[in-house]
Formats: sequence, C-alpha cells, structure tokens
Amino acid sequence: MAAPQPTGRSRPTLLLVIVAALTLLTMQFRGFGPLDSFQQGMRDLLDPVRSVSESAARPLRSAWLGVFDYDDLRDRTERLEKELARMRGRQLSSEADGELLKRLMGEVGIEYAKLDTVVVRILGTPPGNSSSHTIEVDKGLDDGLAEGMAVVTGAGLVGRLEVVDRSRSIVRLATHPAFRVGVRLVGSQDEGLARGGGASGHLVIDAGIRPDVQVAIGEVVVTSGGRSRFPTDIPVGRVIDPDAGADLDREIIVEPAASLEHLSFVNVVLDQRLADAGPLERG
Amino acid sequence: MTGRLRVVAILLTAVTVQVTVFEEIRVSGVSVELLLLVSILAGFHGGPERGAVVAFCAGLLHDTITATPMGLHALVYAPMAVATSHLEVRLARSTRPFLAAGLMVAMVIGVLSTMLVGGLFGLHGVDVERLARTALLASVMSVALAVPTSRAVRWAVTGGLPVNVDVRGSGVELRG
Repeated sequence: MAAPQPTGRSRPTLLLVIVAALTLLTMQFRGFGPLDSFQQGMRDLLDPVRSVSESAARPLRSAWLGVFDYDDLRDRTERLEKELARMRGRQLSSEADGELLKRLMGEVGIEYAKLDTVVVRILGTPPGNSSSHTIEVDKGLDDGLAEGMAVVTGAGLVGRLEVVDRSRSIVRLATHPAFRVGVRLVGSQDEGLARGGGASGHLVIDAGIRPDVQVAIGEVVVTSGGRSRFPTDIPVGRVIDPDAGADLDREIIVEPAASLEHLSFVNVVLDQRLADAGPLERG
Repeated sequence: MTGRLRVVAILLTAVTVQVTVFEEIRVSGVSVELLLLVSILAGFHGGPERGAVVAFCAGLLHDTITATPMGLHALVYAPMAVATSHLEVRLARSTRPFLAAGLMVAMVIGVLSTMLVGGLFGLHGVDVERLARTALLASVMSVALAVPTSRAVRWAVTGGLPVNVDVRGSGVELRG
C-alpha cells in the first residue's frame, strides 16, 4: 500500500494545526460568540436528519433493548408500577399529605412548587463518547429555554441546561464533576457550595460550611438562591455523611433528592433573567 | 471531483453517519468513533501533511456535533494522523491482521487521549474504569468498520494524485 509522503513539511503543518486548535479552544473559553453560533448552526442543520434517523431506528432499538436489556426493562417496569401505586396512594391521602407538605414547606420556606416550568423528554446521551453525566432533551430555544436554566423533577434538582440548540438541549447533571450549586442546610441555615461527585453519584459540599456547625445525617439541603443561577429552595438532597470530624477541609456528602438514573421526563425551570441574558451574562 | 471536494464529501458523510446511524448503535453507552477512524486512516493513506489537515477538520466537525469546546478533538486527531503516517512507512508491506492490530492500538490511544484532554478541560471526571471501557469498546467497534472506511478515505485523500513514498534513510522512492 503506497501513500504520498511530502516529507519535511509535516512538522510545520502539525504545529500550525495544533496552534489553530489551541487558539480556537482559547476563543471558545473566552466566550467568542461566532464559534458558538457556528456550532449551534451546524447542529441545527443536522437536527432534521437526526430526527428522521431516530424515528427510523426506534423499532430496531426497541428490539435490541428487548433482546439484550430485558432485565433492565423488567426492572424499570417494576419500578414504574411501584411508583404508580405510590402516586395512587398519595392521591387517596392527598389531604393528609397536603397538610404535611404545607408544614414541611413552611419549615423550610420553600416556594418550589410554584416555579414556572416546561416539561421536556429525555432523548438519551448526547452524541459522542467524550462527555459523561449529561443527557440530551427534546426542547430548545424555540420553547423558551436558555443556557443555565435549572432542571428539576418533582423530587428536586437534576442539573442545569449546558447547551441549548433550536430544538434540543444538553443537560449537565448535578453529579457532573464540574457542576456547582450554592446550597443551604435547612437545619443550621448555613450556606455553602456543592459540586458533583462524579462516579459516586453524590454531591459534595466542600466550601462555605464552618467546621463547627452541627450537621445531622438526613438533613435536607436546598439551593441557596441569591446570586446563584438557580432559584431559591429547590430540594438538592439529604446529607448522608456530615464529615463531623474534619478540621478545615470539610466535605459533606449529599445524596441527590431526585433519582438521576432512568429518567424519562424532567422539568426545566423557566427563568426570564437567563432567557434575556447573553452568553457572557450566563457565564 | 477534485481531491479537496472528495475530502469534504467524506467528512460530511462521516459526520452525518456518526450522528445518525452510529448514535443509535451504542453498546453499553459507547458508540463508534468514525471521525477518529477517518483521521487515522487519512494519515495512513494521505501522509502526514494531508492527514493532519483532514484530521484537524474532522476534529472540528466532531467538536461541533458533540458540543465540546471547538478545537478539543482537533488537538488530538491531528497528531494521531501524523503519528500514523510515520508508522505507515514502516508497515507498508504488513499483513492485514497486523495492520488491524496497529489500527486498534491507534484507536485506543486516540480515544484515551481525547477523553483525557476532555477531562483536563472539565468535560468529565477522569474515571479510569470508564476510560478503559469506552476506549476498548469504541476501538473494537470502529476497527470493525475499517475496511470500507479505509477504501473511502484512500479514494478521498489519494484520488487523482501521484502517489509517492519516500522511504526515509533508504534513498528509495516507491511509486504506487
């Protein structure tokens, strides 16, 4: 097998493309708008092709799942049946639950249920193998979504919108190692900063909480709001390890309130400030 | 069709197939890395200079469809193409299984490097188990597509041009 070998010129060419790649990376991280617009335009261009392909492949995918992921499907069905039974039970005892909910809301001052949201369907993982702890959803700019908006379920915080195209978006889950959220411990009212714990599936509060603060196992953690991009008082999770013995580097482990596995639908909290803001304001 | 148009056609076809067919065929959440395969094969068939340029463009396209920072994949793909082109000179008369093994190694290195660079830029945590699983699965699936992809890439990067190999150090020039 023969190939053209313009020897002697490969090094300058390689250096040139590496410098070009680094320049593009720097420009992107500095928020150079045209690059984002170009990428978004290309993805929007391919979107109809992807939609057709997804529709065509749906029966094949179902067959594949039926053959190779039967156990997973059965587990999921059982889980959904239990969830349905629980929801029916809740409906029957709605008055009692309503009273309890009111009491809990009053206790933590939560206005969470009143948030204006849009329901989005989860399409799966975004294209490629490079990213983890992200999901793709079926709504985008055309539905009023914007980068940075909080994504929740009835149980609590799921993540935030990372990339928003015309008709699709990518959600960065709360467990993503680069995810940051300002949180408040409901018991002590101390505020800190939580980050995603990656593969552990937890969140870690590693800044802002004083070492001498008493934190109980099971204590509720909510978003702190304020200057944060997330609305106030969205449930984040419960403390499972208060790291009471720590001196300075205290790391409180929080189990997410919302199950981040096997989601089918999530809600995006509409925030007019983020919808109106440009990319720089969104950070 | 000129050489440049052929390369554009191959890259656009590869990116379309990647976001449609190969996004639907995932094994344990891992998909084929068609654009990395095209980059490596472009270096193999087209030589270091042409390979680097094709790989750079393939990397940019990959960044576009995966919504990763522009230049991240290009930063890995171009050196991979150049490295493969240097190997090509040594593997010119190798058997097909040997070439497949070499391609497999190149794919694993390419996928690992891309994920490590992604980790450096905060796209994901560096989870060794996930890295290894993704690199192996993606490489095996991609190498399975090597024969048709190799033919298409060779048609694109060498079509209509004189094919010369200057075997360095030997003073021999082969014409194909």
